[in-house]
This record gives sequence, structure tokens and C-alpha cells, in this order.
Amino acid sequence: MFRSLSLTTRLTLFFTLAAAAVVFGLALLVIAASERHFIELDHMALQDKQHLIEDILARSNSAEDAKWLLREALSHHHGLYVSVHDSKGETLFQSEGFRLPRELSPADEGNGNDALIHWADEGQAFRGMLVRVIPAYDATTRLDILVAMDTAHHTRFMLELRRTLMTYAVVTIVICGLLSWFAAYKGLAPLRAMKSRATTLTSQRLHQRMPVEAVPIEMADLAHELNKMLDRLEDAFTRLSEFSSNLAHELRTPLSNLLTQTQVALATRRDADTYREILASNAEELQRLGRMVSDMLLLAKAERGMMLPNRERFSAAEETHALIEFYEAVAEEKGVRLAQRGEGEIVGDRLMFRRALSNLLSNALRHTPPHGEVTIEISQSSQATRVSVENTGEDIDPRVLPHLFDRFYRADPSRSHPETDGAGLGLAITRAIMQTHGGSISVTSAQGRTRFCLEFPGGT
Amino acid sequence: MKILIVEDEPKTGEYLRQGLSEAGFVVDLAQDGADGLHLALQGEYDLVILDVMLPGLDGWQVLQSLRHRGLQMPVLFLTARDQVEDRVKGLELGADDYLVKPFSFAELLARVRTILRRGRSGNESTVLRVADLELDLLRRRVSRGGRRISLTAKEFGLLELLMRRHGEVLPRSLIASQVWDINFDSDTNVIEVAIWRLRAKIDEGHEVKLIHTVRGMGYVLEAPEEH
Repeated sequence: MFRSLSLTTRLTLFFTLAAAAVVFGLALLVIAASERHFIELDHMALQDKQHLIEDILARSNSAEDAKWLLREALSHHHGLYVSVHDSKGETLFQSEGFRLPRELSPADEGNGNDALIHWADEGQAFRGMLVRVIPAYDATTRLDILVAMDTAHHTRFMLELRRTLMTYAVVTIVICGLLSWFAAYKGLAPLRAMKSRATTLTSQRLHQRMPVEAVPIEMADLAHELNKMLDRLEDAFTRLSEFSSNLAHELRTPLSNLLTQTQVALATRRDADTYREILASNAEELQRLGRMVSDMLLLAKAERGMMLPNRERFSAAEETHALIEFYEAVAEEKGVRLAQRGEGEIVGDRLMFRRALSNLLSNALRHTPPHGEVTIEISQSSQATRVSVENTGEDIDPRVLPHLFDRFYRADPSRSHPETDGAGLGLAITRAIMQTHGGSISVTSAQGRTRFCLEFPGGT
Repeated sequence: MKILIVEDEPKTGEYLRQGLSEAGFVVDLAQDGADGLHLALQGEYDLVILDVMLPGLDGWQVLQSLRHRGLQMPVLFLTARDQVEDRVKGLELGADDYLVKPFSFAELLARVRTILRRGRSGNESTVLRVADLELDLLRRRVSRGGRRISLTAKEFGLLELLMRRHGEVLPRSLIASQVWDINFDSDTNVIEVAIWRLRAKIDEGHEVKLIHTVRGMGYVLEAPEEH
């Protein structure tokens, strides 16, 4: 149930409870201290009177004398009640309107000397002391002296004090509650600011960020992490939308070519050979489109973390050899020397490896001038197996290098692409394949040599 | 040879029917799974081409029902979804092959012929002959008109494939897969170059050309009278 309360409510509740504990505790302490203080005062006053009476009794020569002296001394004390009896029950002095408490017989010695006793009689509350003394005039008798005070005004005062304190406590707690609600509400303002910022974030406005500087330190971390997450999302989103627009663009050109060609062909009557020629050309264009769609699907799968269909350990040299056999004829026609060196094992998908390397090889062959050479070198260390494809030829512009692996990237955007040229997805696919294998791809180009290096983790 | 096509997309189905009929097959077309199953159970087909996504019964269910009733005719799947699980599922259920859309018709035709050729290998001759071209599998020798032609190992493999399937148009992807074991579409002109070089060795200096390019489809080896 607690979990469903809002933070503001929780904080308000906590603060209010704490304030209540403090205020009530203080009030109870004050009440207890006042009470104790009154008792102390009463005790001292009673002791005073008691000593006075003891004095009188010590000074008096007879019982009559004592009676007289007591009356002299005690008659006019308002609120003070005294009763002095001897052991035979004869009253030496009794304040007007004062009755001995029933349960407290003057003969009762149980209360000892200094102890205070309390009792009530006819709506009046009394506090008193009972002592037993031996008067000076008669050593055979005992006198019980009861000195008492009416505590009504104390009680009234305490009642008043309690009421005041309680009122104060309640008012204070209510005010505390309101203040703490306000404080919590104000304190949580940054959260609401972040929330309102979050509600304005849409796919069109992904550039908005959480206000890191404007929020307290405790939330700055959270805001910072959220911002990093937004950065990643924005990046991915931008790439995705660029990709779709690239895709549309890439598809538009061949589609419009196809459409134009077909409609032009249909416009007039032609002979069968012309039709055949047009259809064949259409078929070629369509095949390229189909291949592009398959490549894009492969890329999409790779980016969603495509699993490796078959994971096995294979010899990189054997697979490379198979690919070299495949490309041999083309290389020979171009007068390019194809060479392979080194040994190494790779754990991964054989077909994917072939595909990755095949893209690099066909790229290399395409860009190597006649009488150049393409060398595939395999090396294995304890951490990784590297397969590099190096070709001679013009250096790649260093500004272009980082973009080589982007989808649809072509170094020369104006270049019309002949049929052998891919859709600009080959290197992107190779990189995706490397990522799926937990490996990496890098490229260097200098001094007439361009070198792509595939690095597979694992090694020996 | 009787082929049943189960395909719900009317244009695709019609084109496939036309194409396969013209390639010399007897073709029936069903537009949904239930019809397809019904036809497959009735007629004696040598091959069923099944689309995976079908209204009602899907391709897998049709295949399951067929196998359940003990019909063992080969089945080729067409699918728009290139998912490994799909392939595995199809092959586990007893499909013989699958093709991912979009595919080229030449590819489909080549696969269909491959499947139909299976199981009737019969008396494989060790010497292949087309017109005056002769390929000796045992001695790894090729001669045309009695004159020996020396070929590299891969050229020999390529020629063997073309001769075994002479008269058939073989798409590049099939050639790459059969001769070089390259099982993915590549953008390169490797096959073109290889054919071009083979053609130079086989056809150059001969009146009758045997290796032909069928534009937009692939390559075919055939003697003129095969037309």
C-alpha cells in the first residue's frame, strides 16, 4: 500500500510524524517538569510549616500554651491546613473546615517522616505531610502533625498548561505538515521538469535533452544517463531514417529506368528481337534489385543481432583458397596476381566468412589496376585470427576511409555503376558479419597499398 | 512430369504455371492450402511447389498432411521470409528445397530439374557427349571433333555441369554454387568471365557454337538441333 503513495505524500508523512514526535515529546517533558516543580515547591512550603509547628511545640510549656501558640501562628494562613492531635485523640489544633482524611488516621505511622501524601475530599485535592513529634511539655505523649495544602490551583494550572501545550503541538504539527508538503513538492520539482521534458520527446524531436545543470546533484546522474540513452536512440534513429531514405533513393532509380524502358518499348510495335532485348535488360535490372533487397534483409538481420546459423571451427586458409579459385579467372583476365599466405583457424559461420571475404576480394579486384596484385594474408595469434586483403592501386582518400563501411556509400557519388558494381552494401555487410562474430574490420590505405583487415576473436 | 503449384498470389501463380508449362511440364495451380492438399492427394504429382504463407492451411501444414498420408513426392518451398528457423523447419518437415522470394525463374527451373533428376540417376555414363563435344569423366579428358582440349579443374567442372544439364538454362547462382561452392549471390562477373574463357576453348574455331548466353537468365550448352 505504501508503494502506491506519491513521493510527496511519503515525505510529508515522514516529516509530519517526525515533527509530531518532537513536539509531543517536548510537551510531555514540560508537563512532567512542571509537575515535579510544583511538588517540590509544596514540599518545601509544607516542610517550613512543619518546622514552625515543631518549633512551637518545642517552645510551649503546656498543651494549652501550645494550643494558643498554634492558633496564633496558623489561623490566618489561607490554603494551609493543619491538624495536631495527641495520641489520645485530643485535638490541639484543627484548621477550619479541614477534616482528616478517613483513610489516614493520625495514629498511622506508616508514612514515615518526610513523605508526601495525597488525598481528595469533597472535590478538594490535598497534598500533605504527616509527622509524629514528642512535645517538650510532656514526654509521655505523642503528637501527630498533619500539614496539608489545597492543590486545586496547581491542578488548574497544570490543566491549563496541558491544554495550551496540546493546542500548540497540534497547530505546530499541522503547520509542519503543510511546510513539509510544500518542501517535498518544491524539492521534487526537478523530477517534474524531467517528466515534462520527457513528454515533449517525440521521434521528430529527439534532440531534446534532460536538464543536467538545472537539477540537483542526486538527479544529475540520472539525467546524465538518460541523456546518454537518448544520444544512442537518436543516433540509431537517425541512421535508420537515413537508411530508409537511402533505400528509397536506391530503389527509385532502377525502378524508374525499368518503367521508362518498358513504357517506351510498349509505345510502338517492335520486332521480337527488340522485345527480347528489352526483357533481358529488365531481367538483369530486376535481378540486381532482388539482390539488393536480399542484402538489405541480411543487414537488417545482422543489426538485430543475427545468430550464427552454424558455428564451427574451420581453416581460414582452405576457405580463402576456395574463394581464390572462384576469382582466379577474373584476376587473370585483368592481369592481376592473386596470392595467399599464412594459416589460421576461425570459429564462426563458414558461409558468412566466405561472404565477408568475398566482398573484400571482389572490391580489391575491382580497384586493382592491371598488373597489380591482391594478397590475402592470414595470421593467428593467441587472441585473434586476422585475415587481411591487400591490393595495389591508388590510395583511398583518408577523408573517405571512415565512410567506406556505411551502407550505400560510394567513394564517387556521381559514378554510374556498371553491373559488376554492387549497390554499395558489400562492405556494410562485411562489417555486419564481423560484428556478428564479435570481430572487427579495419582499413588502411597508403603508399599505393590498400589493406582491409578482418579480425576474428578467439585465435588458438 | 506433373507439377502442382500452390500459390495464393494470382500473378506469381500464373507466371509460374506458364513458365513451367513452357518448360515442358504439366502444371496444375491451386490458390490455397486446402485446394492444394486436395489436388495433391488426388493427382499423382512428381513435384509440389508450395508457398509457405497461404490462406487457411499454410505450406507447412499442407506438407505435414501429405507426409502424414504417406505421400513422399518431392516438395519445394517458396518463402518470402528468409529466416533460418523457417528453412530448418521446412527441411525438417521433409521439404526437398526452398527458394526465397524474390527468386529468378531460371533459378526455380534449375532447382526443379535438379529435384526431379534425383532418384533416377540410373546408368550414369562416364562419358558425356553433346554434338561432337566429348567429356570423359574417368580420364578427365575433353575433346571436340576428336581434338583434345586442355581445361583447368574448375573449367572441367563447369563444362561437366553444362553438359550434364545440356539444353537447360543455368542461372549464375546455380553455377557458382555447383562449381565453386559459393552459395550466395555475389555481384561479381566471375561466372561471366569463366564462361567466356570456357567458350573460347570449346567453341573457338568451330562453326557450331555450343555454349550460349541467355540474357537475363543464364547460360546454356546445347547443340543447334536441340532447339
